[in-house]
Amino acid sequence: MSITFFILATIAILGGVLAITLRNVIHAVFSVLLFFSAIAGLFLLLLAEFIAAVQILVYIGSVGILMLFAIMLTTKVMGDTTKTVHSRGWIWGAISVTALLLGVLVPFISTPQPEAVSILSNFDPSVKQLGLVLMDPYFASVGVIALLLTAGLIGAVVAASSASEATE
Amino acid sequence: MNNFFDHKILELGQWLEALFNDVPSLKIVVHIVLSTLPLMLAFMGAFAFSTWLERKGLARIQNRPGPNRVGIFGLLQPLADGIKMLMKEDIVPNQSDKLFHLMAPGLLMVPAMVGIGFLPIGDGLSALPLDSAILFFFAIGSMNTIAVFMAGWSSRNKYSLLGGMRAVAQMISYEIPLVLSAVTVIMIAGSLNGQEIVASQQIPSWIGSGNIIKEFFGQILGWHIFKPWGFAGFIFFFIAALAEANRSPFDLPEADSEIIAGHLTEYSGFKYAIFFIAEYISAFAIAGIAVTLFLGGWSGPLLSGIPWFIIKLFSLFAVMIWIRGTLPRLRVDQLMGYAWKFLMPLAILNIFVVGLYYFAEQQWGTMIALIGGWIFGFGALQLAAKGLSRLNKSPLLKGKRVYQFAE
Repeated sequence: MSITFFILATIAILGGVLAITLRNVIHAVFSVLLFFSAIAGLFLLLLAEFIAAVQILVYIGSVGILMLFAIMLTTKVMGDTTKTVHSRGWIWGAISVTALLLGVLVPFISTPQPEAVSILSNFDPSVKQLGLVLMDPYFASVGVIALLLTAGLIGAVVAASSASEATE
Repeated sequence: MNNFFDHKILELGQWLEALFNDVPSLKIVVHIVLSTLPLMLAFMGAFAFSTWLERKGLARIQNRPGPNRVGIFGLLQPLADGIKMLMKEDIVPNQSDKLFHLMAPGLLMVPAMVGIGFLPIGDGLSALPLDSAILFFFAIGSMNTIAVFMAGWSSRNKYSLLGGMRAVAQMISYEIPLVLSAVTVIMIAGSLNGQEIVASQQIPSWIGSGNIIKEFFGQILGWHIFKPWGFAGFIFFFIAALAEANRSPFDLPEADSEIIAGHLTEYSGFKYAIFFIAEYISAFAIAGIAVTLFLGGWSGPLLSGIPWFIIKLFSLFAVMIWIRGTLPRLRVDQLMGYAWKFLMPLAILNIFVVGLYYFAEQQWGTMIALIGGWIFGFGALQLAAKGLSRLNKSPLLKGKRVYQFAE
């Protein structure tokens, strides 16, 4: 169990680090996908198979493809030609990351941890539970999100159709 | 008597596992091997057989004998092909991205092999009996796209890249009608679990009645394809599945006459063979999901579960071969328009039909729901299809056709 966790965590960290260090943009996208799949594996390890499936479906299947599309439609970024812009931004980044780590990790380590209890005996990971929760207490928020997505979809159609008329 | 064979296989597996009761860690390994290895071997065998079947079938359609030199009826042809592929030189383009060029075929194998694990191939027999198996299947299937794009991009070849782009656009577009038409079955079955979806297609009161005729038909008439929404949904699903599996008439990513096999252009030898294997196994996996969702899965009279599943799977595959031998390839704009402007609205309408059917069945019983569904539900779908095809008709061209990039 913990061995699997460490393997997956290493892959995730490796993917994340590669994604920001690699010069080739396409390589970077594939490293991000590696990171996403490791995260999906971690969700599986937590018995959250539905979240894992959604992670693969949304992040690898759609977001990754979207990034690839964006790169393909941008001229002159494919291959190794990209240049890194050097700036002082990394200092602020390092400061904020350190602050975040200290703010989260130090309190986490210093507080005494409750003893780990196996929840497998009375744990129901079924999709049915998730569906009931989504449809009963959180129905309003699901409805609002659905409406928002529909509005976005219609907006996309309108934007696409008016753009094609403009070129004609 | 029914499903006797399935239960015997299950018992055999449990007996083999029980031998390792003393060593729990080894027992897990044995469990994994027993539930995956036979499936993988069986599907590899099915792949070999299906290449022969496809060549023979296409040959029959084109009025020629087809492979008939190796073995009786040319049955050993797949073996000969395999040896030929193994002995071929593996050529990697100089400018290619070596690592990705190597990784792409393997990456394509992953979704194919994981996908067959979710199929309920018999009574109680599925390698990955997850609660959300169907959703997981579609999620894993979306990884296909990444692998094909990787192959196309890493080859550093214009044709490969075009093929990769086409594959991405096509698979993304057809995934939507594919999943939307599967949603209907999930709504009725109330589960994403393959076994429960199969169970929802049997009529338990008929099967347990003791009457031979009722028992016979109780395992057939419950199939979702015999319901109005199921019939329409199966057609949408099958069309989208053809596109997802890159089968003809949607084989644009590897159109040999336009872009010289697309993402496969720079692959040779055994890597090419792996692409082929993965493609056929994905086709099998998606046909298996179609069987599970609409054709009653492993349920059927007289025979046991596994034989029924194999019969249905190969029948669907035979239809795929028949379509390949009959229909010409689509154009790119036709392909995209068909998915977005025709299949997707119809699949969404089908979801409404299934909702009405569900409530009609609860209110007035199955018989009235079926009759009303065929008349009104299927009629509405028909009307929508007619209207959509009229809306989508491109305006008649006045004067001479002008080409932008050709004479």
